[in-house]
Amino acid sequence: MGAERQKEDFFFEKKKQKDYIEPIGAEEEGMTRPTRPLILLSAARRNISKSLFASFSSEKEDSSFSRRTFLITGAAACGGLLIGLRGAHAAGKGPYQITVWLTVGTDGAVTIFCPSQEMGQGIYSGLAQIVAEELRTPWTTVQVAAGPLESVFVNPLLGAQMTAASSSVRGFFSVCLEAGAIARQMLIEAGAKAMGVKAKQCIAENGMVVVQATGQSISFGAVARAASRRTPPKSAKLYSANGYVLVGQSVARPEIPSKVNGTAIYGTDVVVPGMQYGAVLLCPTRGGTVASVGSPPSGSQVVNLGVGIAAVANTGPNCTTWAAMQAALQTKVTWNIPQGVDTETSKDILAEAITLLTTGTAIVAESVGDVQSAQAGAAKVLTLIYILPYLPHATLETPNCTASVTATSCEIWAPTQAPAAAQAAAAAASGLPLSAVTVNCVQMGGGLGRKLETDYVTYAVQTSQALGVPVQLVFPREQDFLQDQYRPMAVCQVTVGLEKNGSVVSWDFRNVSPSILYQRGLIQDGQLDTQATEGATDLPYAFPNLLVDWVRHPAAIPVGFWRSVGNSINAFAVECAIDEAAKAAKTDALAYRLAMLAGNARAIAVLNTAAAVGGWGTNQPGVARGLAYCESFGSLAAVVVTITESDNVIQLVNVACAVDCGMVINPNTATQQIEGGITQGLGSALWGQMQFKNAVAQTSNFDAYRMPLMADMPTIDITLLQTPGAAIGGLGEVGVPCLAPALANAWAALTGKRLRTLPLFPT
Amino acid sequence: MASLTVNGETYEIQSDPSTPILWLIRDVIGLKGTKYGCGIAVCGACTVLVGGVPQRSCEITIADINGAAITTIEGLSSDNSNPLQQAWIAYQVPQCGFCQPAQILRATQLITNGNVPTDEEINVTMNNICVCGTYSRMRAAIHAAAGG
Repeated sequence: MGAERQKEDFFFEKKKQKDYIEPIGAEEEGMTRPTRPLILLSAARRNISKSLFASFSSEKEDSSFSRRTFLITGAAACGGLLIGLRGAHAAGKGPYQITVWLTVGTDGAVTIFCPSQEMGQGIYSGLAQIVAEELRTPWTTVQVAAGPLESVFVNPLLGAQMTAASSSVRGFFSVCLEAGAIARQMLIEAGAKAMGVKAKQCIAENGMVVVQATGQSISFGAVARAASRRTPPKSAKLYSANGYVLVGQSVARPEIPSKVNGTAIYGTDVVVPGMQYGAVLLCPTRGGTVASVGSPPSGSQVVNLGVGIAAVANTGPNCTTWAAMQAALQTKVTWNIPQGVDTETSKDILAEAITLLTTGTAIVAESVGDVQSAQAGAAKVLTLIYILPYLPHATLETPNCTASVTATSCEIWAPTQAPAAAQAAAAAASGLPLSAVTVNCVQMGGGLGRKLETDYVTYAVQTSQALGVPVQLVFPREQDFLQDQYRPMAVCQVTVGLEKNGSVVSWDFRNVSPSILYQRGLIQDGQLDTQATEGATDLPYAFPNLLVDWVRHPAAIPVGFWRSVGNSINAFAVECAIDEAAKAAKTDALAYRLAMLAGNARAIAVLNTAAAVGGWGTNQPGVARGLAYCESFGSLAAVVVTITESDNVIQLVNVACAVDCGMVINPNTATQQIEGGITQGLGSALWGQMQFKNAVAQTSNFDAYRMPLMADMPTIDITLLQTPGAAIGGLGEVGVPCLAPALANAWAALTGKRLRTLPLFPT
Repeated sequence: MASLTVNGETYEIQSDPSTPILWLIRDVIGLKGTKYGCGIAVCGACTVLVGGVPQRSCEITIADINGAAITTIEGLSSDNSNPLQQAWIAYQVPQCGFCQPAQILRATQLITNGNVPTDEEINVTMNNICVCGTYSRMRAAIHAAAGG
């Protein structure tokens, strides 16, 4: 099939999609935005097991602890921690810093500093409960705070202090166990001394140091000060996993009470004395710069950021973020538009990608056997092209940063997944050395990969430095949509050679997409961007001949890490192509996959579980199911979606998902992450995209960017599987990739129409 | 001078009268539990109670509310004792939590006067965006708070 023909097929497919969905655009009860065609409607509510949640009601509610005060004054505390392991609390009544990981108060209250940043994924319980497990303190004594920028908080899997790649538990599990054990040992030594016995005669249990022979005990609180003065041992004995009392339990998330009463502090809730509110307005054409800046409206000041402006409201009754946003809009700015932006239009970018499929320089990511000869000898060859759009992150909290820059210092308060990168960005923007930059991490109102970036830190630092006052700089929602680093668009061509019996004899997978790593200078031309091919390589299926390669698309629209990165792109193509091959082989899509997974007990169990829970194989008239499987971040996931058709309305009624992440630390937060991944996978597959015209993003707010709402949601059934002894897998992103292919596969099963372009139903 | 009553306190407001109530609450009065999400009354993160009724505060001004008293998440209870807050904790609803104060305020409408909402009522009323996808838990929590 030539490039020209493929292109035609694509546009034909698009047209068919549109034609097909028009009849079901009827308004339905419960639809809150009638201008949009309703595709999906919830049929019934999910029955959440009450027993799973019963324990939470009795949990301590954090009422004595003012999170707001702590986090704001945490600036000084975090700075102090950088001094080292001890010494921050040499005098006073505590709490006492036992190690950089935790403090213990005289009342036994333990504050654990979480090395990963909380952005909704529940890492404040996940990692803290691992530390508390070895510390042997009851969960009700534990509070959690954002870990400061600190070398021991570098994630060993990433080599950076960064919350990304679903790697927090994977990277920190052993580290957190050891951190808890070392602190426990220090408390035991201090307790033993206080009781006049030897440390080896004692154990720690329930926040107490206990003499094993006599039962004599002393509380952690009573020995916290003495423990804080001891030298941490190099290592300490770990408990056997059989004896775990917290790991594996759905302990309550410590920050939840603050999230239901408004006291949780996100970036824009930080208040610094003398702070003024500001808002950005960046060149709408990506790559453009400021040519001239007019006078700001009265009551405001404007800073030229090079790529745009920051408007800042003067102090007084009109110092509000809103006033700053208005000032930004009212300031006349002219722009230098770079050459060549006329090619940065969605349909041209796509056309170029289609051309690059055949003319581009492909870099091999994986090769097995001889695809060419196998394909030549195949009984049947399917050539399938899948197309994916650019996707914005659309975190509900827009990018923002508070900065206070003086001649010699720079302090920032940022919702960031990458505190070290934020520090480097602040240093570069201010011209100050790294050591002069203090980073205060605050919880994120969603990260999703967007808050790995440091653009918003740079702008806040520039603005504060230019005006000589602390500034809280916010991206208005429009700026968030227009100035994102999007999930790359992609065109994937899958050429599948089938034997006479329908089995796959050759699998030729080509991904054409802009490169996240190349755009950041992390790889050179000719090098493979592994982010672009993840989810396409190391597939579990037994393909005797296989070739996976990638062609870099040169489009300049900035691309970035979007929850699950390459996996959500490639899984769509892989799992749809498998489904199409199964259809060509006239074989059930589940059986077809299972046949290629012989001996892979974990994958088989995950698929069979999702199939059983999702009712695979029980189709009745008007009901269809779609299946998808994806391994990502060390975890295995399978999804079965069920859709129904009645009176010309097609509904998504259920998503069943099975996940094997090896070992589950907290079943509740694990389930939450999968629920969240499913919801995001769903919304992006159905409606998500960003179109560009001459390098200007065409969607700027939620009125034109449909997100799933309560009324859209299907029931969701999640099953967590564990494999003892297996490496721990990630959870934050693994719920996302299967949704798009499972939906497309269900749609094909129900309607006979194969949709190969995302979003499935452009709004 | 205009005044605004929030959580039982009355504030004299000297700000530009076109300033949306969201920003008076957040940046002038300093109550940060009410969030900015879109500025066009679509996402619902800025929901507060105006005279007891949930309303998006990012596009209404003092003049629009005729002296009605505002309740923000900080005014719903001082100790998380509101049945919705209790249920939200029991069902561990929030993930990132950014939309949750507004979701809770939105849900108050469903359980007032002993109402036990149906799923359909929940679908219609709960029209704020939650990017994290906590919908099924919110639904369960609302039913629990209503005693249903």
